Amino acid sequence: MVEITIRKRPRSEAVVTQRKFFKKTARGKVIKVLRERYLRDDVGCGIQSCQECTESCTPQANHLVMSGPDHGLFPDGHFLLPDTNVFLSQMDLLESPLFRPPIILLQTVIEEVRHRSLPLYNRLKALMAMDEKSIWVFYNEYRSETAVIREENETPNDRNDRGIRKAAAWYTTHLNANVRGKAPKKPPTIVLLTEDAANRQKAEKDGLVTLSVRKYVEAMNDASQLLDLLASESEEIEPTRAASGKQFLYDEYLPSATLIGGVKAGQLHQGHFNANQYNYLEGSVSVPAFSKPVLLIGRENMNRATNGDIVIVEVFPEDEWKAPADEVVDQDATLKNDDVESGDEDDGEDLVSRVESKVVEYEKRDAEKQPTGKVVGVIKRLWRPYVCHIDSTSLTSSNATSLSVQTVFATPVSRLLPRIRMRTRQAPSLIGQKILVSIDRWDVTSRYPEGHFVRALGKVESKEAEQESLLLEFDVPYRPFGKAILDCLPKEGEQWVVPLKSDASPEWRDRQDLRDLNICSIDPPGCQDIDDALHARLLPNGNIEAGVHIADVSHFVHADTTMDNEAASRGTTVYLVDKRIDMLPALLGTNLCSLRPFVERLAFSAIWEMTPDADIVNVRFTKSVIASKAAFTYEEAQIRKDDANQKDALTEGIRLLNTIAIKLKAKRMAAGALNLASPEVKIHLDSSESSDPIDVEQKEMRETNSLVEEFMLLANISVAQKIQETFPQTAVLRRHMPPPKTNFEKLQDILMKRKGLALDVSSSGALAASLDKCLDPTEPAFNTLVRIMATRCMLSAEYFCSGSVARDTFGHYGLASPIYTHFTSPIRRYADVLAHRQLSAAIGYSPLHPSLHSKPHVERILGVVNKRHRMAQMAGRASVEFYVGLALKGREERVQKSGAGAVTEEAFVIRTFRNGLGVFVSSLGIEGLVMFKKDLQFDAENYTLSIPKPGSADLVAISVFDKVTVRIEVEKDKNTQRGRVKMTLLSPVDSKDM
Amino acid sequence: MASSSISKAESAYIEVGLSEQPPQRLDGRALTDYRAMSLETGTAPLANGSARLTIGRNPHDGSGGTEILAATKLEVETNEDGGSDQGRVVCSVTCSPAAYPHLSSNALEDLQHDLTTVIHTTLSHPSLHPDNLKIIPGKKSWLLSLDLVILSDAGNIYDALFMAARAALWDTKVPRTRFIEYKAKKGGPASGGKGRDGMDVDETATSGFDTRKTNHATDFELLDYWDEGEVLDGRERWPLCVTFNLVPKTHFLDATQVEEAVAVLKVLFIFASSSVQGMRMLGPGEVTSAQIKSLLKEAETHSRNISSALDSKLKDEDVRRNQKASEAFSQQRR
Repeated sequence: MVEITIRKRPRSEAVVTQRKFFKKTARGKVIKVLRERYLRDDVGCGIQSCQECTESCTPQANHLVMSGPDHGLFPDGHFLLPDTNVFLSQMDLLESPLFRPPIILLQTVIEEVRHRSLPLYNRLKALMAMDEKSIWVFYNEYRSETAVIREENETPNDRNDRGIRKAAAWYTTHLNANVRGKAPKKPPTIVLLTEDAANRQKAEKDGLVTLSVRKYVEAMNDASQLLDLLASESEEIEPTRAASGKQFLYDEYLPSATLIGGVKAGQLHQGHFNANQYNYLEGSVSVPAFSKPVLLIGRENMNRATNGDIVIVEVFPEDEWKAPADEVVDQDATLKNDDVESGDEDDGEDLVSRVESKVVEYEKRDAEKQPTGKVVGVIKRLWRPYVCHIDSTSLTSSNATSLSVQTVFATPVSRLLPRIRMRTRQAPSLIGQKILVSIDRWDVTSRYPEGHFVRALGKVESKEAEQESLLLEFDVPYRPFGKAILDCLPKEGEQWVVPLKSDASPEWRDRQDLRDLNICSIDPPGCQDIDDALHARLLPNGNIEAGVHIADVSHFVHADTTMDNEAASRGTTVYLVDKRIDMLPALLGTNLCSLRPFVERLAFSAIWEMTPDADIVNVRFTKSVIASKAAFTYEEAQIRKDDANQKDALTEGIRLLNTIAIKLKAKRMAAGALNLASPEVKIHLDSSESSDPIDVEQKEMRETNSLVEEFMLLANISVAQKIQETFPQTAVLRRHMPPPKTNFEKLQDILMKRKGLALDVSSSGALAASLDKCLDPTEPAFNTLVRIMATRCMLSAEYFCSGSVARDTFGHYGLASPIYTHFTSPIRRYADVLAHRQLSAAIGYSPLHPSLHSKPHVERILGVVNKRHRMAQMAGRASVEFYVGLALKGREERVQKSGAGAVTEEAFVIRTFRNGLGVFVSSLGIEGLVMFKKDLQFDAENYTLSIPKPGSADLVAISVFDKVTVRIEVEKDKNTQRGRVKMTLLSPVDSKDM
Repeated sequence: MASSSISKAESAYIEVGLSEQPPQRLDGRALTDYRAMSLETGTAPLANGSARLTIGRNPHDGSGGTEILAATKLEVETNEDGGSDQGRVVCSVTCSPAAYPHLSSNALEDLQHDLTTVIHTTLSHPSLHPDNLKIIPGKKSWLLSLDLVILSDAGNIYDALFMAARAALWDTKVPRTRFIEYKAKKGGPASGGKGRDGMDVDETATSGFDTRKTNHATDFELLDYWDEGEVLDGRERWPLCVTFNLVPKTHFLDATQVEEAVAVLKVLFIFASSSVQGMRMLGPGEVTSAQIKSLLKEAETHSRNISSALDSKLKDEDVRRNQKASEAFSQQRR
């Protein structure tokens, strides 16, 4: 038997083996933490052919193989040993598939990266897991030779640097002793890669080989492609300029501790930065302390914040508060002449500064004053790779073969973002492409953020590039489902069927057999993921039984499986005009869960008994098996219902459903539900193959749309009550908070001044009633317009966990329901899947997964789902906009061919600026801007702009809600190739030359 | 106090021995001799300062003797929770039941309470208060809790407690903090982009010499998570105790447990440097003021001796724990 001796470590070694540090908790307590570390002599170096470490290096599979002779500086082969700062600043380079030298990753480095930036740490972890990279993690803190103790008066940073150098030195001697290159050759070199010049100096003193990343990459064989991936570095981007000569354009941020202190003391405020899409020199931050958002005017007050960042603002004293600008300020137009190289400094005569300072100066209007302030710090950057176009005018040389480094402007597709300056060697070839650019930093001396090129997406206006850029822009995960996820699907695949009814079959356990009911589904045309079906029949007692049957997704998607986790992170299916990005694999979404007609499917049914007046007698929920008898489109169902000759059971069912739906709707309206409107248009695609849009028209609403909607609302409300009752702490619900009254102030003011109409916003019912009164007898579309504008004043609905908020805030404002959830579309919304699981547990069908009992877990998931939901809506809208643009272009070409000149549409004015009009074209569902080159006579109080008639001195007044005719053109920005819809006024005044 | 019951014969024997000329003690010590002591600091790595002290422990088998474990812990305290601007020092003494097997739990509690009172009133006296327990004036401060555990008692518990307390407090390191504040700038912000070029350079920088500013600090942060911190202010000031055990005709120091049973009166002199910090009489005996005066004088000399011995030992400990250990470590790794 092997003798085991336990040697107790003498206390005298405590200095070495114990690592003590303090931790400050969120509640302000200070905790002392003690870590014991065990030093060993058998931590392997991970290098193939090392004689000493062969045994300790397991698994052998990921041994590092010395690099080939492809690096100019190290023909004998080498290994890279990067410092922490390399990962912090050059992650894009390391992630590039072109960059593949063997890397030794020190434990010290990993820990430091984690300490400094969690997102980068996660990227590093992903990098380590990548197959094509050769990375060996060396636990230097645990190897006795390379462990370091912090010396007195040494900063943690110095200690880590010393540890890294020590590890590099150890590797060098270790390789000398144990690894031989081919016979006479020298052993491979260990290259310490660091961006820290001081560290380099010290390392050189110790006799180590060390390089900066730039130097290293420059000597590589395929340097030119990789050099673009390097993050820009301040000392190197403009080496010719003396740093002292630079002017500070922005204030430095305050130290983060000060910021937190200021927020705690209530002197500073934290919130999300929202850029203004009409005026790039203005932004706002909503903070809890003020009812109106804090306004940030001008570049220096916005202080380098980009849209979405979590920032800390300081609010100015009240006498310096201002009103938001009433002018459209377009970045491209104002900054047209800014030279990319000299855009920063110069003297006080700087053209751009003058233009901008003129722009931000305007008179104070007392009435609309808002808290005004400036950004003093950024808590969290929301920087991600942005889809951009290259501004061709910023190129110094457009010679396609030129490979010289150029500094160019990249203009993000989103109007909310500033231009990004980047250096690239490929500038000429990137013109006319959509590219991905990520921001590295934004210095106080630089007007624009600095970024670097990540990859090209493809030609502008090619479908693929546009589609991918849209998905990237809205952060939609669009990877295909991985194997682990597909493995969660039933093995039978497409052949899966509901097994024959038997007591032994698990599918039939506790399921009600509803196969003989006359169930049908009603959906938009071309719908593949049918997740709801309906039935109704008369009961012998004169009451009506109505049922909503929802695809039983939770039967296939079990909690805490790979598929479930993926669905949770996707949150929702995203619908683009020509593409659907599924939340669940297509097998489930369009087949097994889809309630197709004529096949048996598993369902989760909600069945009500109602009086003929649509009062609910009782409701029950059950898992069931159904066989849908038909899948109608809204149109087909409508025709069938209206056709008096049809007397079959299915049609009678639809009629019955319809009568109840009408009563349900009447009740809902009486309770104060809002009838809101949002512009929805339909894109006509040429054919399913080419997917070229021909034209756009507004969606039609039929009675049957409303029928389905009413029953879905009813099901959602009933389910919400049930799960809230059973799981009061963790029920997944959805709410719509009543909007703050101040949101409506502007709309109320406009309506009062322009139309003499009053809007009562005291409750949703009052609002609904006064919206009904907003009529203009001469203009039927006026009411819709007001509804659209009112909808924009409201907050968006959100999912929440019932235990996390007060009971009295559960209500759904728009639907005027005290409680609501989403239950009816589990194929395309993850919240519904959760509701299914909770309902299933509530009726005792299955136990609830423990994760759904945990409030923090549910909160976290719903946070993700809320975000994805918002992003999906925006992506969908952007996709429609893109196709509207394409359709317009098509129409424009046709119109021009026929010689009519241009596309013209009627539009309503919805906003007035000093130099422009915001108009809404209801037939196309788009909003546009009519810009005038000069400031016009503008009456802000009455929302009226007076435009001179060409050739005469008369003025034509145009105000909000006026109907105008606009000429719509799609023009491409000459510089960036970014397509945009341009509108000019045609009547009452032709503004073509204004 | 912890009187072990001994027979009359035994007690008479000891008493006679003490009043002999020259005096005879059971273990052969002179009247003012201490037993051998041992001291080690940093015994509790999770505490902010700690020490283990033994008196009269058998050096061969490690048995017997008085043994005390002392540890300090720093906690952040807000003023609302009863903290004060200067921070607080709270001491407590716990007796291990194993040290007093003959005492009932009630008696043990009484004893703990008595010991705690003596230690706490002495050590938390404002004249000894360390300066660096402040964090944010008016808001937060450190609460220094000193906990002493009596692991075994073989007499002279007061002297031992004070010595252990002093060692632990000597060893205590206070994490360095910096407070976070936010000050609104004077004269409003830089005129919101109305300057000629719209940029104001560095106007807002405040002078480091401006000491008039009122304090708006709301929170603090740790300067350095890895650093144990600075030593407690005034760590050489902490008092020591000299206990005279009075028997008729004479008095002696460092009584063993049986000797304590003989003493009719114990007089505690507590010295911080050379000033009297406290004095206590325990027991039924009487003493005249003239006697006290001479005892006081004698106690001062003894306390000075103990103090300097302790100081040099504590400094030794510091060196042993840091310098020597890391040297040994690097040698071993070469």
